[in-house]
Amino acid sequence: MEKRIRVLLFKPGLDGHWRGIMTVSKALSEAGMETIFFGFKTVEGVVEAAIQEDVDVIGFSVHSGAHLEWARELVRELEEKGVRDDFLLLVGGVFPEEDHEELRRIGMDGVFGPGTVTGDIVAFIRERLGKVEVG
Amino acid sequence: MKNMADLEEIRRAYDEWRKMKEGWTERRESFRSDAGIPVKDLYTPLDVEGIDYLADIGFPGQPPYARGVYPTMYRGRLWTIRMFSGHGTPEETNQRWRMLYEEGETGFSAAVDSLTFAGVDPDQEVHGAAHEVGKEGVPLYSIRGVEAMVEDLPIDRMSVALVVEPLTSAAITSMYFNVAKQRGLRKEQLAGTTQNDILTMTIGYIPWGSLKPADLLKLACDLIEYCTAMGEAPRWNPINFTTYNYREGGIDAVQEIGMGLANAVAHIDELLRRGWKIDDFVHRLAFHLSAHRDFFEEIAKYRAARKLWYRLMKERYRPENPEAYRFRFHVQTAGCSLTAQQPMVNIVRTAYQALEAVLGGCQSLHTNSYDEAICLPSEEAVRLAVRTQEVLQEETGVANVIDPLAGSYYVESLTRELEERIWGYFQQIEEMGGVVEALNTGWLFGEMSKAFNKRRRDQESGEEKVIGVNCYVLEDEEPTPPFRTNPRAAEIERERLAKLRAERDNQKVSRLLDQLRRVCEARENVLPVVSELTAAGATLGEITGVYREMWGIWQLPFVA
Repeated sequence: MEKRIRVLLFKPGLDGHWRGIMTVSKALSEAGMETIFFGFKTVEGVVEAAIQEDVDVIGFSVHSGAHLEWARELVRELEEKGVRDDFLLLVGGVFPEEDHEELRRIGMDGVFGPGTVTGDIVAFIRERLGKVEVG
Repeated sequence: MKNMADLEEIRRAYDEWRKMKEGWTERRESFRSDAGIPVKDLYTPLDVEGIDYLADIGFPGQPPYARGVYPTMYRGRLWTIRMFSGHGTPEETNQRWRMLYEEGETGFSAAVDSLTFAGVDPDQEVHGAAHEVGKEGVPLYSIRGVEAMVEDLPIDRMSVALVVEPLTSAAITSMYFNVAKQRGLRKEQLAGTTQNDILTMTIGYIPWGSLKPADLLKLACDLIEYCTAMGEAPRWNPINFTTYNYREGGIDAVQEIGMGLANAVAHIDELLRRGWKIDDFVHRLAFHLSAHRDFFEEIAKYRAARKLWYRLMKERYRPENPEAYRFRFHVQTAGCSLTAQQPMVNIVRTAYQALEAVLGGCQSLHTNSYDEAICLPSEEAVRLAVRTQEVLQEETGVANVIDPLAGSYYVESLTRELEERIWGYFQQIEEMGGVVEALNTGWLFGEMSKAFNKRRRDQESGEEKVIGVNCYVLEDEEPTPPFRTNPRAAEIERERLAKLRAERDNQKVSRLLDQLRRVCEARENVLPVVSELTAAGATLGEITGVYREMWGIWQLPFVA
């Protein structure tokens, strides 16, 4: 039996727009993934938790306009801990399409802007991790 | 609204019409409003049976205020064009405000950044806060920021809404009052509003390090007490219950007003518990509602909200001041209805929503800019949003008659239906002990979470159509160039604070912070000492730091 995909979701910084991340969290759970919603945490705390919880995916949501800064900080922290390649990294939220390429260059594997259908996030994770869900 | 004989005749004719209609197919099996109210194919006098014009609808400026809170409404004075804006640095926000002033805006509303909202200074080592300086709004970390924001603007002749919540409402409002004082103005002269809503901070938008609901309620009531009951700023609205912010999460019109009324009751009861009389403060409580997608339901919602407020006052609190019975509200068009795809369509959405607000009798209105699903609004986009209101005011003629939709069988029937449903929802919250208890138990989170997920499912299944997203999609759309906030904002704000800390009397600030600790411990009104603190150059983070230290941070009962 395949192991269930484990996803850690968080909201970095102080921006309190919580709807997006909660909605994605619910959708991934409904798709059979184990999601841990980690709330409003520092990048440092999130990386430690991701290692301890042995998750496959780290995802975060930004509405404040600080998406590039947060993506850089997350990747920097993962690199410092030497675990950059252990996780699939996702970012979502309200940011301009012209920043998608920069977010990928920084190291985000999946970039999901406004209007994303949650099914696309599920499909993306499954395809990249090559795992089959068991309910 | 017809006599019985007429109704019988209409009923017979209606039955005949139904028979004639058999065999004609309809687009859908059933139609429902956004709040799930079944929508019939046709509304006739039969649907307003039992509605008594004088008792249930009445005249503008008279109970039950269905037709508006003032006798002349927009024929006397048009609504205030009040745009929510702020970005980068206080100086840049000042430039934007001056531009809007030139363009005809008549009221201002300060959007603050996430640090200001959470009561954090940019030089505090909290969650990498500096990334977000000036990104979502204007940074207002000390009196210096407020000074720069309103520089050269006639604050004695304009009204300013400070969009902050109970955690920072005392600090930011007192900064504003202190700036006015520096200019030789008295607080009594100032017109404006502080948002100051506890539900925004707990279910609408959840900032870092929020306080417990009871502590937020205390702070919110401190400002109401200070401005209104104690008479320090009698023209100031010390709170507007911002149902807009919870509505953005996905709840419906019934929940929006139901939660708003329950929230208002919590504040009223707390002030009565403190020994004030209802007439000492209730006339200055205001609301900030949403204008959402369902055109007629939203109009009926405003009419129902006015009637319900009147009912609440009349049945429960019985104030003597007639002003207290008037439900006054600002409207913002629904930000969450905007799309990043085909953003120009947002201009059309916003225009319809603005029309709802006007047909519903709002006192002031914010129209969203078309690029808001992508970034903060550009100058061009915000100018168009102002023009949207100016077209309504100057070209359409819709403001020339008061409550033009009254008497519409559909609107009156829907108003009645909403009244019943909203009152039921409000009572449900009351029965569980009120909003503070509904927050403590996580019930309100459950309501929000259910609403998030219902919206998501409805939009993803196509049940709820969103143009450009799940229908009429354009392939290879050209992205809209985004407006970028000042990348140096964090640096500029840190320098501003460093300079302030070097120039102010640090001993005085520290002594006053100790005094604030004692006030917090005794649970006395924080405003007098917070006013002294902000005048002495204390920062936002220093002040909220005392609240957190004395009362602790709230652990949210998340319901996924």
